[in-house]
Amino acid sequence: MKKISLKINGKEYNVEIEKDMRLLDLLRDQLHLTGTKEGCGEGECGACTVIMDGVTVNSCMVLAFQADGSEIITIEGLDKGDKLHPIQKAFLDEGAVQCGFCIPGMVLSAKALLDKKPSPSRKEIREGISGNLCRCTGYNKIVDAIDKASQYLKEEGEEK
Amino acid sequence: MKLEVVGQSVIRVDGLAKLRGKATYPQDLYMDNMLYGKTLRSIKPHANIRLNISKAEKMEGVIKILTYKDVPHNHYGVLFKDHEVFSSTKVRSIGDPLAFVVATSDKIATKALEEIEVFYEDLDAVFDPIEAMQDNAPKVHDKSNIVYKYQLRKGDVDKAFQQCDVIIEEEYKTSMVDHAFLQPEAGLAYQENETFVVCAATQYPHFDQLEIAEALEVPLEKVRVINPAVGGAFGGREDITMQIHLALATKLTGRPVKTIYSRQESFVAHSKRHPLIMKYKTGANKEGKLLAMEATIVGDTGAYASWAINILRKSGVHATGPYEIPNVKVDSYAVYTNNPFAGAMRGFGATQVPIAHEQQMDMLAEKLNINPIEFRLINCFRKGSTTATGQILEESIPLVECIEAVEKSLKQTTQGGV
Repeated sequence: MKKISLKINGKEYNVEIEKDMRLLDLLRDQLHLTGTKEGCGEGECGACTVIMDGVTVNSCMVLAFQADGSEIITIEGLDKGDKLHPIQKAFLDEGAVQCGFCIPGMVLSAKALLDKKPSPSRKEIREGISGNLCRCTGYNKIVDAIDKASQYLKEEGEEK
Repeated sequence: MKLEVVGQSVIRVDGLAKLRGKATYPQDLYMDNMLYGKTLRSIKPHANIRLNISKAEKMEGVIKILTYKDVPHNHYGVLFKDHEVFSSTKVRSIGDPLAFVVATSDKIATKALEEIEVFYEDLDAVFDPIEAMQDNAPKVHDKSNIVYKYQLRKGDVDKAFQQCDVIIEEEYKTSMVDHAFLQPEAGLAYQENETFVVCAATQYPHFDQLEIAEALEVPLEKVRVINPAVGGAFGGREDITMQIHLALATKLTGRPVKTIYSRQESFVAHSKRHPLIMKYKTGANKEGKLLAMEATIVGDTGAYASWAINILRKSGVHATGPYEIPNVKVDSYAVYTNNPFAGAMRGFGATQVPIAHEQQMDMLAEKLNINPIEFRLINCFRKGSTTATGQILEESIPLVECIEAVEKSLKQTTQGGV
Protein backbone atom coordinates (compact mmCIF):
# COMPACT_ATOMS: atom_id res chain seq x y z
CA MET A 1 0.00 0.00 0.00
CA LYS A 2 1.09 3.52 -0.72
CA LYS A 3 -0.32 6.91 0.23
CA ILE A 4 -0.76 9.58 -2.41
CA SER A 5 -2.46 12.95 -2.53
CA LEU A 6 -4.01 14.48 -5.58
CA LYS A 7 -6.64 16.99 -6.58
CA ILE A 8 -9.67 15.69 -8.50
CA ASN A 9 -12.24 18.13 -9.86
CA GLY A 10 -10.92 20.79 -7.47
CA LYS A 11 -11.14 18.60 -4.38
CA GLU A 12 -8.11 17.36 -2.40
CA TYR A 13 -7.86 13.60 -1.87
CA ASN A 14 -5.43 11.68 0.34
CA VAL A 15 -5.79 8.02 -0.56
CA GLU A 16 -4.17 4.68 0.11
CA ILE A 17 -3.57 2.72 -3.05
CA GLU A 18 -2.24 -0.64 -4.17
CA LYS A 19 1.06 -0.21 -5.99
CA ASP A 20 -0.23 -1.87 -9.16
CA MET A 21 -3.50 0.05 -9.20
CA ARG A 22 -4.30 2.06 -12.32
CA LEU A 23 -5.52 5.64 -12.10
CA LEU A 24 -8.73 4.34 -13.73
CA ASP A 25 -9.30 1.85 -10.87
CA LEU A 26 -8.64 4.52 -8.26
CA LEU A 27 -11.24 6.78 -9.86
CA ARG A 28 -13.87 4.08 -10.44
CA ASP A 29 -13.50 1.39 -7.77
CA GLN A 30 -12.12 3.42 -4.86
CA LEU A 31 -13.63 6.88 -5.35
CA HIS A 32 -16.72 5.71 -7.33
CA LEU A 33 -16.25 8.37 -9.98
CA THR A 34 -17.69 5.96 -12.52
CA GLY A 35 -18.19 8.56 -15.25
CA THR A 36 -14.74 7.53 -16.48
CA LYS A 37 -15.20 4.36 -18.57
CA GLU A 38 -13.03 1.40 -19.50
CA GLY A 39 -13.43 0.27 -23.11
CA CYS A 40 -10.24 -1.63 -23.88
CA GLY A 41 -7.71 -1.35 -21.06
CA GLU A 42 -4.86 -0.79 -23.47
CA GLY A 43 -4.97 2.84 -24.49
CA GLU A 44 -6.72 2.34 -27.83
CA CYS A 45 -10.30 3.53 -27.34
CA GLY A 46 -10.02 6.66 -25.18
CA ALA A 47 -13.16 5.93 -23.11
CA CYS A 48 -11.06 6.36 -19.94
CA THR A 49 -9.69 9.77 -20.98
CA VAL A 50 -9.21 12.25 -18.14
CA ILE A 51 -7.33 15.55 -18.04
CA MET A 52 -4.17 15.34 -15.92
CA ASP A 53 -2.36 18.64 -15.34
CA GLY A 54 -3.97 20.11 -18.45
CA VAL A 55 -3.16 17.19 -20.75
CA THR A 56 -5.46 14.31 -21.75
CA VAL A 57 -4.29 10.87 -20.63
CA ASN A 58 -5.76 7.38 -20.92
CA SER A 59 -6.34 6.64 -17.24
CA CYS A 60 -5.95 2.90 -17.96
CA MET A 61 -2.33 3.57 -18.98
CA VAL A 62 -1.41 5.66 -15.92
CA LEU A 63 -0.64 3.97 -12.62
CA ALA A 64 -2.32 5.61 -9.65
CA PHE A 65 0.99 6.42 -7.94
CA GLN A 66 2.04 8.40 -11.03
CA ALA A 67 -0.85 10.77 -10.32
CA ASP A 68 0.60 11.71 -6.91
CA GLY A 69 0.56 15.50 -6.62
CA SER A 70 -1.31 16.00 -9.89
CA GLU A 71 -4.55 17.72 -10.72
CA ILE A 72 -7.18 15.59 -12.46
CA ILE A 73 -10.39 16.61 -14.20
CA THR A 74 -12.99 13.91 -14.86
CA ILE A 75 -16.41 14.22 -16.48
CA GLU A 76 -17.96 14.72 -13.03
CA GLY A 77 -15.97 17.95 -12.69
CA LEU A 78 -17.40 19.70 -15.73
CA ASP A 79 -20.90 20.82 -14.89
CA LYS A 80 -21.61 23.21 -12.04
CA GLY A 81 -24.67 21.71 -10.38
CA ASP A 82 -27.58 22.23 -12.73
CA LYS A 83 -25.57 24.31 -15.17
CA LEU A 84 -24.02 22.26 -17.93
CA HIS A 85 -20.59 23.08 -19.27
CA PRO A 86 -20.94 24.65 -22.78
CA ILE A 87 -19.32 21.55 -24.30
CA GLN A 88 -21.90 19.29 -22.64
CA LYS A 89 -24.69 21.58 -23.81
CA ALA A 90 -23.38 21.55 -27.38
CA PHE A 91 -23.20 17.72 -27.40
CA LEU A 92 -26.80 17.57 -26.18
CA ASP A 93 -28.07 20.18 -28.67
CA GLU A 94 -26.33 18.55 -31.66
CA GLY A 95 -27.50 15.02 -30.83
CA ALA A 96 -23.90 13.86 -30.52
CA VAL A 97 -24.72 11.33 -27.80
CA GLN A 98 -25.95 7.86 -28.62
CA CYS A 99 -24.89 4.95 -26.41
CA GLY A 100 -22.84 7.43 -24.41
CA PHE A 101 -19.95 5.17 -23.44
CA CYS A 102 -17.34 7.21 -25.35
CA ILE A 103 -18.88 10.53 -24.33
CA PRO A 104 -17.05 11.33 -21.06
CA GLY A 105 -13.70 10.81 -22.78
CA MET A 106 -14.85 12.58 -25.91
CA VAL A 107 -16.01 15.65 -23.94
CA LEU A 108 -12.73 15.83 -22.02
CA SER A 109 -10.68 15.57 -25.22
CA ALA A 110 -12.84 18.39 -26.62
CA LYS A 111 -12.17 20.45 -23.49
CA ALA A 112 -8.42 19.92 -23.66
CA LEU A 113 -8.52 20.97 -27.32
CA LEU A 114 -10.70 24.06 -26.83
CA ASP A 115 -8.67 25.18 -23.77
CA LYS A 116 -5.62 25.43 -26.02
CA LYS A 117 -7.31 26.34 -29.29
CA PRO A 118 -10.62 28.20 -28.86
CA SER A 119 -11.44 28.24 -32.62
CA PRO A 120 -10.28 24.95 -34.10
CA SER A 121 -10.89 24.00 -37.74
CA ARG A 122 -12.91 20.82 -38.39
CA LYS A 123 -9.64 19.08 -39.23
CA GLU A 124 -8.15 20.18 -35.91
CA ILE A 125 -11.29 18.94 -34.13
CA ARG A 126 -10.91 15.56 -35.81
CA GLU A 127 -7.26 15.45 -34.73
CA GLY A 128 -8.27 16.51 -31.22
CA ILE A 129 -10.59 13.51 -30.82
CA SER A 130 -8.42 11.08 -32.80
CA GLY A 131 -7.65 9.17 -29.59
CA ASN A 132 -11.34 8.57 -28.84
CA LEU A 133 -13.30 5.85 -30.60
CA CYS A 134 -17.06 6.05 -31.08
CA ARG A 135 -18.96 3.12 -32.61
CA CYS A 136 -22.41 4.75 -32.87
CA THR A 137 -22.30 8.20 -34.41
CA GLY A 138 -19.81 8.08 -37.26
CA TYR A 139 -18.23 11.16 -35.60
CA ASN A 140 -19.95 13.84 -37.72
CA LYS A 141 -22.33 14.96 -35.00
CA ILE A 142 -19.52 14.95 -32.45
CA VAL A 143 -17.43 17.21 -34.70
CA ASP A 144 -20.51 19.46 -35.17
CA ALA A 145 -20.95 19.56 -31.39
CA ILE A 146 -17.35 20.61 -30.72
CA ASP A 147 -17.68 23.26 -33.42
CA LYS A 148 -20.82 24.53 -31.66
CA ALA A 149 -19.11 24.30 -28.25
CA SER A 150 -16.41 26.62 -29.56
CA GLN A 151 -19.16 29.17 -30.40
CA TYR A 152 -20.91 28.70 -27.03
CA LEU A 153 -17.63 29.25 -25.18
CA LYS A 154 -16.98 32.45 -27.15
CA GLU A 155 -20.52 33.74 -26.48
CA GLU A 156 -20.08 32.95 -22.80
CA GLY A 157 -16.76 34.84 -22.78
CA GLU A 158 -18.43 37.87 -24.40
CA GLU A 159 -21.22 37.86 -21.77
CA LYS A 160 -18.60 38.01 -19.05
CA MET B 1 -53.19 15.02 -37.70
CA LYS B 2 -50.57 17.15 -35.98
CA LEU B 3 -47.35 15.22 -35.34
CA GLU B 4 -45.55 16.20 -32.18
CA VAL B 5 -42.42 14.08 -32.48
CA VAL B 6 -42.15 12.87 -36.11
CA GLY B 7 -40.33 15.48 -38.14
CA GLN B 8 -39.17 17.37 -35.04
CA SER B 9 -35.65 17.53 -33.66
CA VAL B 10 -35.97 16.11 -30.16
CA ILE B 11 -33.34 16.19 -27.43
CA ARG B 12 -32.43 12.66 -26.30
CA VAL B 13 -33.86 11.92 -22.86
CA ASP B 14 -30.82 9.95 -21.75
CA GLY B 15 -28.31 12.41 -23.22
CA LEU B 16 -28.01 14.56 -20.12
CA ALA B 17 -27.11 11.76 -17.70
CA LYS B 18 -24.60 10.37 -20.19
CA LEU B 19 -22.94 13.78 -20.63
CA ARG B 20 -22.62 14.25 -16.88
CA GLY B 21 -21.10 10.81 -16.33
CA LYS B 22 -24.15 9.83 -14.28
CA ALA B 23 -25.65 7.19 -16.58
CA THR B 24 -25.25 3.76 -15.02
CA TYR B 25 -23.78 1.00 -17.19
CA PRO B 26 -23.58 -2.46 -15.58
CA GLN B 27 -19.87 -2.05 -14.73
CA ASP B 28 -20.79 1.04 -12.70
CA LEU B 29 -22.86 -0.99 -10.22
CA TYR B 30 -21.35 -1.90 -6.85
CA MET B 31 -22.99 -3.66 -3.89
CA ASP B 32 -21.94 -4.43 -0.33
CA ASN B 33 -20.61 -7.95 0.19
CA MET B 34 -20.19 -8.33 -3.56
CA LEU B 35 -18.23 -11.18 -5.14
CA TYR B 36 -16.39 -11.14 -8.47
CA GLY B 37 -16.74 -13.63 -11.28
CA LYS B 38 -14.33 -14.61 -14.06
CA THR B 39 -15.01 -16.98 -16.95
CA LEU B 40 -12.64 -19.73 -18.04
CA ARG B 41 -12.89 -20.18 -21.80
CA SER B 42 -11.78 -22.74 -24.33
CA ILE B 43 -8.52 -22.08 -26.18
CA LYS B 44 -9.23 -24.90 -28.67
CA PRO B 45 -11.72 -24.84 -31.54
CA HIS B 46 -12.82 -28.49 -31.31
CA ALA B 47 -11.82 -30.88 -28.54
CA ASN B 48 -13.09 -33.27 -25.92
CA ILE B 49 -12.49 -31.74 -22.52
CA ARG B 50 -12.11 -32.61 -18.88
CA LEU B 51 -11.56 -30.14 -16.03
CA ASN B 52 -9.83 -30.43 -12.68
CA ILE B 53 -10.87 -27.59 -10.40
CA SER B 54 -9.64 -29.09 -7.11
CA LYS B 55 -6.53 -26.89 -6.82
CA ALA B 56 -8.35 -23.69 -7.75
CA GLU B 57 -11.23 -24.50 -5.43
CA LYS B 58 -8.92 -24.58 -2.41
CA MET B 59 -7.44 -21.13 -3.02
CA GLU B 60 -8.09 -18.56 -0.34
CA GLY B 61 -10.79 -16.17 -1.45
CA VAL B 62 -12.34 -18.56 -3.98
CA ILE B 63 -15.96 -19.07 -2.95
CA LYS B 64 -17.33 -21.26 -5.72
CA ILE B 65 -16.37 -22.55 -9.14
CA LEU B 66 -19.32 -23.17 -11.43
CA THR B 67 -19.13 -25.84 -14.12
CA TYR B 68 -21.72 -27.70 -16.20
CA LYS B 69 -22.40 -29.91 -13.16
CA ASP B 70 -23.95 -26.94 -11.37
CA VAL B 71 -26.39 -26.06 -14.15
CA PRO B 72 -29.85 -27.67 -13.80
CA HIS B 73 -30.56 -27.25 -17.55
CA ASN B 74 -27.31 -26.75 -19.45
CA HIS B 75 -28.72 -25.57 -22.80
CA TYR B 76 -29.73 -22.22 -24.27
CA GLY B 77 -29.91 -20.30 -27.53
CA VAL B 78 -32.23 -17.89 -29.32
CA LEU B 79 -33.53 -20.28 -32.02
CA PHE B 80 -31.96 -23.65 -31.21
CA LYS B 81 -30.78 -24.59 -27.75
CA ASP B 82 -27.34 -25.45 -29.18
CA HIS B 83 -25.22 -23.45 -26.71
CA GLU B 84 -24.18 -25.03 -23.42
CA VAL B 85 -24.10 -22.77 -20.36
CA PHE B 86 -20.74 -24.45 -19.65
CA SER B 87 -19.20 -27.02 -22.01
CA SER B 88 -19.78 -30.50 -20.62
CA THR B 89 -17.85 -32.99 -22.76
CA LYS B 90 -16.53 -31.04 -25.73
CA VAL B 91 -15.79 -27.53 -26.94
CA ARG B 92 -16.94 -26.39 -30.39
CA SER B 93 -15.09 -23.10 -30.72
CA ILE B 94 -12.43 -20.96 -29.09
CA GLY B 95 -14.08 -18.97 -26.33
CA ASP B 96 -16.69 -21.55 -25.25
CA PRO B 97 -17.25 -21.05 -21.50
CA LEU B 98 -15.91 -23.89 -19.34
CA ALA B 99 -16.21 -22.57 -15.79
CA PHE B 100 -17.04 -19.43 -13.81
CA VAL B 101 -14.86 -18.66 -10.79
CA VAL B 102 -16.52 -16.66 -8.02
CA ALA B 103 -14.09 -15.06 -5.58
CA THR B 104 -13.79 -12.23 -3.09
CA SER B 105 -11.79 -10.09 -5.52
CA ASP B 106 -11.28 -9.74 -9.23
CA LYS B 107 -7.58 -10.48 -8.76
CA ILE B 108 -8.16 -13.76 -6.91
CA ALA B 109 -10.73 -14.87 -9.50
CA THR B 110 -8.25 -14.16 -12.31
CA LYS B 111 -5.50 -16.08 -10.49
CA ALA B 112 -7.83 -19.02 -9.87
CA LEU B 113 -8.49 -19.34 -13.61
CA GLU B 114 -4.83 -20.24 -14.07
CA GLU B 115 -5.11 -22.97 -11.42
CA ILE B 116 -7.91 -24.82 -13.20
CA GLU B 117 -6.48 -27.71 -15.19
CA VAL B 118 -8.08 -28.27 -18.58
CA PHE B 119 -7.35 -31.47 -20.46
CA TYR B 120 -8.05 -31.13 -24.18
CA GLU B 121 -8.23 -34.05 -26.58
CA ASP B 122 -8.16 -32.42 -30.02
CA LEU B 123 -10.84 -33.38 -32.53
CA ASP B 124 -10.74 -32.78 -36.29
CA ALA B 125 -12.11 -29.31 -36.84
CA VAL B 126 -13.69 -27.61 -39.83
CA PHE B 127 -13.26 -23.91 -40.58
CA ASP B 128 -14.43 -23.67 -44.21
CA PRO B 129 -18.23 -23.69 -44.56
CA ILE B 130 -18.08 -25.27 -48.05
CA GLU B 131 -16.03 -28.15 -46.62
CA ALA B 132 -18.39 -28.33 -43.64
CA MET B 133 -21.31 -29.05 -46.05
CA GLN B 134 -19.68 -32.32 -47.21
CA ASP B 135 -21.00 -35.54 -45.69
CA ASN B 136 -17.55 -36.59 -44.44
CA ALA B 137 -16.77 -33.26 -42.72
CA PRO B 138 -16.18 -33.21 -38.94
CA LYS B 139 -19.54 -32.72 -37.23
CA VAL B 140 -19.81 -29.72 -34.94
CA HIS B 141 -23.06 -30.92 -33.33
CA ASP B 142 -23.25 -34.68 -34.05
CA LYS B 143 -25.57 -34.03 -37.00
CA SER B 144 -25.35 -32.41 -40.42
CA ASN B 145 -23.51 -29.08 -40.33
CA ILE B 146 -26.15 -27.60 -42.63
CA VAL B 147 -28.40 -25.69 -40.25
CA TYR B 148 -30.73 -24.21 -42.81
CA LYS B 149 -31.47 -23.93 -46.52
CA TYR B 150 -33.59 -21.22 -48.06
CA GLN B 151 -34.82 -21.56 -51.65
CA LEU B 152 -36.22 -18.82 -53.82
CA ARG B 153 -37.57 -19.59 -57.30
CA LYS B 154 -39.16 -17.18 -59.75
CA GLY B 155 -39.68 -17.85 -63.47
CA ASP B 156 -37.26 -20.08 -65.37
CA VAL B 157 -33.63 -19.00 -65.05
CA ASP B 158 -32.21 -21.66 -67.39
CA LYS B 159 -34.42 -20.53 -70.25
CA ALA B 160 -33.87 -16.84 -69.46
CA PHE B 161 -30.05 -17.11 -69.47
CA GLN B 162 -30.28 -18.41 -73.07
CA GLN B 163 -31.96 -15.13 -74.05
CA CYS B 164 -29.28 -12.95 -72.35
CA ASP B 165 -26.78 -11.01 -74.46
CA VAL B 166 -24.36 -10.66 -71.54
CA ILE B 167 -23.81 -12.86 -68.49
CA ILE B 168 -21.46 -12.24 -65.55
CA GLU B 169 -20.45 -15.10 -63.26
CA GLU B 170 -18.37 -14.32 -60.18
CA GLU B 171 -17.79 -15.41 -56.60
CA TYR B 172 -17.68 -12.96 -53.68
CA LYS B 173 -16.64 -13.36 -50.07
CA THR B 174 -17.28 -11.09 -47.12
CA SER B 175 -15.39 -11.28 -43.86
CA MET B 176 -16.33 -11.86 -40.25
CA VAL B 177 -16.97 -8.55 -38.46
CA ASP B 178 -17.17 -7.76 -34.76
CA HIS B 179 -19.62 -5.18 -33.49
CA ALA B 180 -16.92 -3.78 -31.17
CA PHE B 181 -19.50 -1.86 -29.16
CA LEU B 182 -17.55 0.36 -26.82
CA GLN B 183 -18.90 -0.99 -23.52
CA PRO B 184 -17.56 -4.49 -22.91
CA GLU B 185 -20.08 -6.93 -21.44
CA ALA B 186 -20.60 -6.58 -17.70
CA GLY B 187 -23.25 -7.54 -15.20
CA LEU B 188 -24.26 -7.78 -11.59
CA ALA B 189 -26.70 -10.28 -10.10
CA TYR B 190 -28.21 -10.46 -6.63
CA GLN B 191 -31.16 -11.94 -4.74
CA GLU B 192 -34.10 -9.89 -3.61
CA ASN B 193 -37.20 -11.41 -1.97
CA GLU B 194 -36.36 -14.87 -3.37
CA THR B 195 -36.04 -13.42 -6.84
CA PHE B 196 -32.83 -13.54 -8.88
CA VAL B 197 -32.10 -10.08 -10.24
CA VAL B 198 -29.66 -9.79 -13.14
CA CYS B 199 -28.49 -6.36 -14.28
CA ALA B 200 -26.83 -6.61 -17.69
CA ALA B 201 -26.71 -4.56 -20.86
CA THR B 202 -28.84 -6.55 -23.27
CA GLN B 203 -30.97 -6.15 -26.37
CA TYR B 204 -33.36 -8.86 -25.28
CA PRO B 205 -34.19 -8.62 -21.55
CA HIS B 206 -37.49 -10.54 -21.73
CA PHE B 207 -35.85 -13.44 -23.58
CA ASP B 208 -32.82 -13.37 -21.23
CA GLN B 209 -35.32 -13.77 -18.38
CA LEU B 210 -36.77 -16.86 -20.06
CA GLU B 211 -33.37 -18.40 -20.76
CA ILE B 212 -32.14 -17.77 -17.20
CA ALA B 213 -35.32 -19.29 -15.73
CA GLU B 214 -35.00 -22.36 -18.00
CA ALA B 215 -31.32 -22.91 -17.18
CA LEU B 216 -31.88 -22.52 -13.43
CA GLU B 217 -35.17 -24.45 -13.59
CA VAL B 218 -36.95 -21.79 -11.58
CA PRO B 219 -40.31 -20.15 -12.38
CA LEU B 220 -40.15 -17.19 -14.75
CA GLU B 221 -41.43 -14.79 -12.08
CA LYS B 222 -38.42 -15.65 -9.91
CA VAL B 223 -36.09 -14.01 -12.44
CA ARG B 224 -35.89 -10.29 -13.03
CA VAL B 225 -33.67 -8.75 -15.68
CA ILE B 226 -32.78 -5.08 -15.38
CA ASN B 227 -31.32 -3.37 -18.42
CA PRO B 228 -29.26 -0.37 -17.31
CA ALA B 229 -27.52 1.92 -19.83
CA VAL B 230 -26.35 -0.11 -22.85
CA GLY B 231 -23.02 0.96 -24.31
CA GLY B 232 -23.74 0.05 -27.93
CA ALA B 233 -24.92 -3.33 -29.14
CA PHE B 234 -25.54 -3.45 -32.93
CA GLY B 235 -26.87 -7.01 -32.64
CA GLY B 236 -24.02 -8.25 -30.46
CA ARG B 237 -26.11 -8.29 -27.30
CA GLU B 238 -28.97 -10.43 -28.64
CA ASP B 239 -27.47 -13.66 -27.35
CA ILE B 240 -26.83 -14.54 -23.70
CA THR B 241 -23.24 -14.11 -22.51
CA MET B 242 -22.83 -13.91 -18.73
CA GLN B 243 -26.48 -13.59 -17.65
CA ILE B 244 -27.00 -17.26 -16.70
CA HIS B 245 -23.53 -17.52 -15.09
CA LEU B 246 -24.33 -14.56 -12.84
CA ALA B 247 -27.82 -15.75 -11.89
CA LEU B 248 -26.50 -19.18 -11.01
CA ALA B 249 -23.58 -17.69 -9.06
CA THR B 250 -25.85 -15.54 -6.89
CA LYS B 251 -28.22 -18.49 -6.43
CA LEU B 252 -25.45 -20.78 -5.18
CA THR B 253 -23.49 -18.25 -3.09
CA GLY B 254 -26.37 -16.14 -1.79
CA ARG B 255 -24.31 -13.01 -2.44
CA PRO B 256 -24.23 -10.35 -5.16
CA VAL B 257 -21.85 -11.29 -7.98
CA LYS B 258 -20.37 -8.97 -10.57
CA THR B 259 -18.36 -9.64 -13.69
CA ILE B 260 -16.76 -7.41 -16.30
CA TYR B 261 -15.33 -8.75 -19.54
CA SER B 262 -12.05 -7.42 -20.89
CA ARG B 263 -12.07 -6.26 -24.49
CA GLN B 264 -10.28 -9.46 -25.48
CA GLU B 265 -12.90 -11.61 -23.74
CA SER B 266 -15.68 -9.53 -25.28
CA PHE B 267 -14.33 -10.41 -28.73
CA VAL B 268 -14.58 -14.17 -28.10
CA ALA B 269 -17.78 -14.08 -26.04
CA HIS B 270 -20.33 -12.57 -28.43
CA SER B 271 -21.47 -13.20 -31.97
CA LYS B 272 -19.98 -11.95 -35.24
CA ARG B 273 -21.42 -10.89 -38.58
CA HIS B 274 -21.86 -13.98 -40.80
CA PRO B 275 -19.11 -14.20 -43.41
CA LEU B 276 -20.80 -15.10 -46.72
CA ILE B 277 -19.55 -16.87 -49.82
CA MET B 278 -21.75 -15.75 -52.71
CA LYS B 279 -21.69 -17.31 -56.19
CA TYR B 280 -23.59 -15.09 -58.60
CA LYS B 281 -24.64 -15.42 -62.23
CA THR B 282 -26.52 -12.44 -63.63
CA GLY B 283 -27.65 -11.80 -67.20
CA ALA B 284 -29.14 -8.92 -69.20
CA ASN B 285 -30.14 -8.19 -72.78
CA LYS B 286 -28.38 -5.60 -74.92
CA GLU B 287 -31.02 -2.97 -74.08
CA GLY B 288 -29.76 -3.19 -70.48
CA LYS B 289 -32.71 -5.04 -68.98
CA LEU B 290 -31.90 -7.66 -66.36
CA LEU B 291 -33.43 -11.02 -67.33
CA ALA B 292 -32.04 -13.60 -64.92
CA MET B 293 -30.08 -14.07 -61.74
CA GLU B 294 -28.89 -17.21 -60.01
CA ALA B 295 -27.13 -17.13 -56.64
CA THR B 296 -25.78 -19.64 -54.15
CA ILE B 297 -25.06 -18.10 -50.77
CA VAL B 298 -23.28 -19.93 -47.97
CA GLY B 299 -23.15 -18.33 -44.54
CA ASP B 300 -20.64 -19.49 -41.93
CA THR B 301 -22.51 -19.42 -38.64
CA GLY B 302 -19.57 -20.81 -36.67
CA ALA B 303 -20.20 -23.17 -33.77
CA TYR B 304 -23.72 -21.95 -32.91
CA ALA B 305 -26.78 -21.06 -34.95
CA SER B 306 -27.88 -17.94 -33.07
CA TRP B 307 -30.06 -16.10 -35.63
CA ALA B 308 -28.55 -17.87 -38.67
CA ILE B 309 -31.92 -18.93 -40.10
CA ASN B 310 -33.40 -15.46 -40.13
CA ILE B 311 -30.13 -13.97 -41.39
CA LEU B 312 -29.52 -16.34 -44.29
CA ARG B 313 -33.20 -16.07 -45.23
CA LYS B 314 -32.80 -12.32 -45.35
CA SER B 315 -29.64 -12.64 -47.48
CA GLY B 316 -31.63 -14.80 -49.87
CA VAL B 317 -34.61 -12.42 -49.98
CA HIS B 318 -32.31 -9.46 -50.66
CA ALA B 319 -30.05 -11.32 -53.11
CA THR B 320 -31.34 -9.47 -56.20
CA GLY B 321 -30.69 -6.09 -54.66
CA PRO B 322 -33.28 -3.40 -55.36
CA TYR B 323 -33.71 -4.54 -58.98
CA GLU B 324 -36.59 -6.11 -60.81
CA ILE B 325 -35.48 -9.42 -62.30
CA PRO B 326 -38.14 -11.70 -63.87
CA ASN B 327 -36.24 -14.98 -63.42
CA VAL B 328 -34.51 -15.69 -60.13
CA LYS B 329 -33.08 -18.76 -58.41
CA VAL B 330 -31.46 -18.45 -55.00
CA ASP B 331 -30.17 -21.14 -52.64
CA SER B 332 -29.00 -19.79 -49.31
CA TYR B 333 -27.41 -21.95 -46.60
CA ALA B 334 -26.36 -21.52 -42.98
CA VAL B 335 -23.57 -23.87 -41.98
CA TYR B 336 -21.92 -24.85 -38.69
CA THR B 337 -18.10 -24.68 -38.47
CA ASN B 338 -15.68 -24.48 -35.55
CA ASN B 339 -15.25 -20.74 -36.08
CA PRO B 340 -16.52 -18.11 -33.62
CA PHE B 341 -20.32 -18.11 -33.81
CA ALA B 342 -22.12 -15.57 -35.98
CA GLY B 343 -25.42 -13.89 -35.24
CA ALA B 344 -27.19 -10.58 -35.46
CA MET B 345 -25.32 -7.54 -36.68
CA ARG B 346 -26.65 -4.34 -38.22
CA GLY B 347 -28.43 -5.33 -41.44
CA PHE B 348 -29.00 -8.94 -40.41
CA GLY B 349 -27.84 -10.58 -43.65
CA ALA B 350 -28.89 -7.75 -45.96
CA THR B 351 -25.56 -5.96 -45.54
CA GLN B 352 -23.36 -8.59 -47.17
CA VAL B 353 -25.22 -9.26 -50.45
CA PRO B 354 -24.75 -5.77 -51.99
CA ILE B 355 -21.01 -6.58 -52.26
CA ALA B 356 -22.06 -9.18 -54.82
CA HIS B 357 -25.14 -7.74 -56.56
CA GLU B 358 -23.70 -4.25 -57.01
CA GLN B 359 -20.38 -5.53 -58.39
CA GLN B 360 -22.40 -7.68 -60.80
CA MET B 361 -24.28 -4.54 -61.88
CA ASP B 362 -21.04 -2.63 -62.51
CA MET B 363 -19.51 -5.48 -64.51
CA LEU B 364 -22.67 -5.98 -66.59
CA ALA B 365 -22.84 -2.23 -67.31
CA GLU B 366 -19.22 -2.25 -68.42
CA LYS B 367 -19.77 -5.23 -70.71
CA LEU B 368 -22.92 -3.63 -72.15
CA ASN B 369 -21.14 -0.28 -72.50
CA ILE B 370 -23.95 1.44 -70.57
CA ASN B 371 -23.37 4.06 -67.87
CA PRO B 372 -23.67 2.17 -64.54
CA ILE B 373 -26.11 4.76 -63.17
CA GLU B 374 -28.33 4.51 -66.23
CA PHE B 375 -28.15 0.70 -65.99
CA ARG B 376 -29.41 0.89 -62.41
CA LEU B 377 -32.19 3.31 -63.36
CA ILE B 378 -33.39 0.91 -66.07
CA ASN B 379 -33.74 -1.94 -63.57
CA CYS B 380 -34.38 -0.48 -60.14
CA PHE B 381 -37.54 -0.92 -58.07
CA ARG B 382 -40.27 1.65 -58.58
CA LYS B 383 -43.78 1.98 -57.26
CA GLY B 384 -45.64 -1.07 -58.60
CA SER B 385 -42.52 -3.25 -59.05
CA THR B 386 -42.65 -6.92 -58.09
CA THR B 387 -39.76 -8.30 -56.06
CA ALA B 388 -38.27 -11.77 -56.54
CA THR B 389 -40.38 -13.01 -53.62
CA GLY B 390 -43.56 -11.76 -55.28
CA GLN B 391 -44.11 -8.69 -53.15
CA ILE B 392 -45.71 -5.82 -55.04
CA LEU B 393 -44.20 -2.55 -53.86
CA GLU B 394 -47.13 -0.21 -53.48
CA GLU B 395 -45.84 2.42 -51.06
CA SER B 396 -42.85 4.72 -50.86
CA ILE B 397 -40.04 3.53 -53.18
CA PRO B 398 -37.89 6.65 -53.68
CA LEU B 399 -34.94 4.77 -55.19
CA VAL B 400 -34.93 6.63 -58.52
CA GLU B 401 -34.79 9.97 -56.66
CA CYS B 402 -32.00 8.60 -54.47
CA ILE B 403 -29.88 7.43 -57.42
CA GLU B 404 -30.44 10.75 -59.21
CA ALA B 405 -29.44 12.68 -56.07
CA VAL B 406 -26.28 10.60 -55.75
CA GLU B 407 -25.46 11.20 -59.42
CA LYS B 408 -25.91 14.94 -59.00
CA SER B 409 -23.75 14.94 -55.90
CA LEU B 410 -21.03 12.88 -57.61
CA LYS B 411 -20.90 15.32 -60.52
CA GLN B 412 -20.33 18.20 -58.12
CA THR B 413 -17.22 16.61 -56.62
CA THR B 414 -13.88 16.56 -58.37
CA GLN B 415 -13.08 12.97 -57.45
CA GLY B 416 -16.49 11.37 -57.81
CA GLY B 417 -17.04 11.45 -61.58
CA VAL B 418 -18.53 8.31 -63.06
